[in-house]
Amino acid sequence: MLPAAFALIPFGLVCGVAAAGVGATPLEMLGLSAIVFSGAAQILATQLYAAGAPVAGIVLGCFVIGLRLAMYSAAMAPQVASLPVRWQRLLAFLLTDQAFAAAIRRFEAGDDKRPAASHFLGGGVVLWGGWQLTNAAGYFAGNAIPASWSLDFAVPLCFIALLAPLLRERAAIAAALTAAVAVVLLAALPMRLNIIVAGLAGIAVGALVATAHARRKGLR
Amino acid sequence: MSDPVWKLWAVIVLVGAANYLTRLSFIELLSRRSVPPLVATALRYVAVAMLTALVLPMVLTAPAGLALAGNPRVPAAIVAGVVAYFTRSMPWTLAAGMGALWGWQAALG
Repeated sequence: MLPAAFALIPFGLVCGVAAAGVGATPLEMLGLSAIVFSGAAQILATQLYAAGAPVAGIVLGCFVIGLRLAMYSAAMAPQVASLPVRWQRLLAFLLTDQAFAAAIRRFEAGDDKRPAASHFLGGGVVLWGGWQLTNAAGYFAGNAIPASWSLDFAVPLCFIALLAPLLRERAAIAAALTAAVAVVLLAALPMRLNIIVAGLAGIAVGALVATAHARRKGLR
Repeated sequence: MSDPVWKLWAVIVLVGAANYLTRLSFIELLSRRSVPPLVATALRYVAVAMLTALVLPMVLTAPAGLALAGNPRVPAAIVAGVVAYFTRSMPWTLAAGMGALWGWQAALG
């Protein structure tokens, strides 16, 4: 999980800068990084907060963007089913894009899930700790980073690293194309609702194409 | 800032709670029952659809506003996407994307 931890340094810095940008106190900055512990949600929450969105709108937006974590949860569920419930609840807190991507293969490879769980736990704690440090560094020293470095570009790059490898089946490509067209066409919607609506449209089209494809296969 | 002082804390606590419950959702539920097939199918496309909707505005929106032509973020994102597709590596994707962006900016000058 160490490469993932290093790759998250610029992302954490940007989240810290974003917290400073909305006038968060140091304690609020720490609350964002330690409790929310999700770059995508932190960025969206600060953007919506700065745009003056109501609390309910911010929570809804972050919830929808966080729905991909439910997919990770579903994939992890059979892997951790044999572990004590207390462990499951702790592992769930550390379930991020990076931790999931790094851990799932190790879980699927072994019959005894405890070594993989220990690895996930250790890696997850390192990611969490590193996340607090990089967020704090961005919050306190973000102004020292020259704007010409375009460090904020690291945020979409982290998502592209997760997104591009998924585009290997027809339904996933259809879902991405739908979301892409919708998010541009609906750019005028307030409070960045275009992101949420486009995401939901993409999910629907992806499920539709996958279902139709499975049915056609069944007939053959 | 005219917002009440508790507003950001309300956001932090509620978003944090929603995030945790989402992460816990199926780990907690699946040990007892199974997901309906349509929900399972839809969940498979959450990541790809949400990430696309999240990424595209970040790439298309240059610091000065929405821009396609002359926006070095577009070619840099394409380079990063190709590298990510073949390497599945976050460090290589970051290096390729930032390198392409800096190279493009230097070339434009």
